[in-house]
Amino acid sequence: MSELLQFLISGITVGAIYAAIALGFTLIYNASGVVNFAQGEFVVIGGMTAAALIGAGVPVWIAAPLAVIAGMLVGVLLYRLAIRPAGQAPLVSLIIITIGASIFLRGAMQAVFDKQIHRYDGFSGDAPLRVGGATILPQSLWIIGGSVAVFAFLAWFLNRTRAGRGIRATASNRMAAALVGINTGRAMNLSFALSAAIGALAGVLATPVTFTSYDVGVLMALKGFSATMLGGVGSPLGALAGGLLIGLIEALTAGYISSDYKDASAFIVILLVLFLRPQGLFGARIMERV
Amino acid sequence: MAETTEPLLSITGLRSAYGPIEVLHGIDLTVREGEIVSLVGANGAGKTTLMRCISGVQPIKAGAIRLAGEDIARRPDHARASLGIAHSPEGRQIFGDLSVSENLALGGYHRRDALGPDMEEVYRLFPILRDKSALPAGGLSGGQQQMLAIGRAIMGRPRLLLLDEPSMGLAPVLVDQVFAVVKSLRDRGVTLLMVEQNAYAALSIADRGYVMEQGEITLSGLASELIADPRIREAYLGA
Ligand SMILES: Nc1ncnc2c1ncn2[C@@H]1O[C@H](COP(=O)(O)OP(=O)(O)OP(=O)(O)O)[C@@H](O)[C@H]1O
Ligand SMILES: [Mg+2]
Repeated sequence: MSELLQFLISGITVGAIYAAIALGFTLIYNASGVVNFAQGEFVVIGGMTAAALIGAGVPVWIAAPLAVIAGMLVGVLLYRLAIRPAGQAPLVSLIIITIGASIFLRGAMQAVFDKQIHRYDGFSGDAPLRVGGATILPQSLWIIGGSVAVFAFLAWFLNRTRAGRGIRATASNRMAAALVGINTGRAMNLSFALSAAIGALAGVLATPVTFTSYDVGVLMALKGFSATMLGGVGSPLGALAGGLLIGLIEALTAGYISSDYKDASAFIVILLVLFLRPQGLFGARIMERV
Repeated sequence: MAETTEPLLSITGLRSAYGPIEVLHGIDLTVREGEIVSLVGANGAGKTTLMRCISGVQPIKAGAIRLAGEDIARRPDHARASLGIAHSPEGRQIFGDLSVSENLALGGYHRRDALGPDMEEVYRLFPILRDKSALPAGGLSGGQQQMLAIGRAIMGRPRLLLLDEPSMGLAPVLVDQVFAVVKSLRDRGVTLLMVEQNAYAALSIADRGYVMEQGEITLSGLASELIADPRIREAYLGA
């Protein structure tokens, strides 16, 4: 029993990280229709920047926000230097640009930081708390709380704010958005900035538990992307649920079967779900007449 | 007729191109406050392109577009809505994955005042939109989407309303309804520039009309004169 609880705790912790990454995907997809494969690199930028600053003696409560801002700035640069100049290029080209950007960012990080594995202490220490018969790291609570907060923020932002509605309208029909007075360039810019910030935040929160190095972004992007597909592309609720579900499947498979199979079992579940429900668990089925 | 005031819309020498191919070769056109002006012409004449230049989503190569005297040709597309221009585009261009009511609310995106009364007005004009208000707009029929596109433009509370083929895809009874809406908008002080396939209907409710051929204005005048003009009757009215 306590064993199951332990697996659930670790599954939810990892799942919350995937969920945060998936939420970043969701935001950019909502604004532009682009699946941003560089999303994983923002997780690394967040973690590596925080690690470098904390290593240099900067207190964590200053280092963490600075790392998030660093991620946000790189996100804006990605949009301005790589996505925007491509103009009205087809979506596939834009997606390939993000793959290129992710390779570039990985190289840049190796140069700016190093090739070592990094971590820093959990925000509230590393002494495990006892829950039932299991233990949970205080940092896990930070990770779970952070993902839920990001989800709540996005759900509110996209539906209840003017800027958020502008982002959704821009994704839905760029010309019509311009016609009703939405500055579509600004909407795209904002979505890349926020999405990068969300990715960096995930990295900052996760690094004490998962560690980080310049090359973990690919795996992070893959997991976040799987979570997005499972939950339904474009849906914040789907991103949250998809992330948690994949984390749980991985943890339970690793615990009860073998950690060799954890990635495979997650992908089998994703394939099954997409086979039965191509729009994902929470994705809207879009029927557009032309 | 002597011009007493500045026209609401005044276009002079407007040229526009798609890549290297120029499709508008120096258009002159004016719309005075409170008028309904119809633009007729064969397929490919450039009517839609002209409308898109006015609302700013199509770049122009030369010429001036003045709104109440102010040259707006260099203002970005998203600034035009708050200047008082609303555009119900050809092909509807609704926000398919957003709900009907979200589509309407987005029509008033640039406004800072309450949208409720105008939303109510659009629902009164097109009751079917009220019934479907919570559904994704992409699931509406073509005619319903057309009503939504017009309703969304009305939500912008425009001074100048651009309607590109508003009766497209509508059943005859709904076409009458749309033309009734157009007239009621004019009665409320909205100025309209309208492109219509149905040239006869469009000219019957218009004050003036322009005929466009291959990127140039070839004829203009009072709508009543154009309807009677044998050249128009032959080419566009099928008489
Ligand atoms: N996106 C585009 N790219 C290239 N050429 C275009 C584009 N849109 C229109 N054209 C060309 O510009 C010219 C004018 O087209 P436009 O759509 O403005 O005509 P229209 O008068 O609205 O025709 P219709 O009555 O069929 O709607 C046509 O020759 C058309 O082929
Ligand atoms: Mg046209």
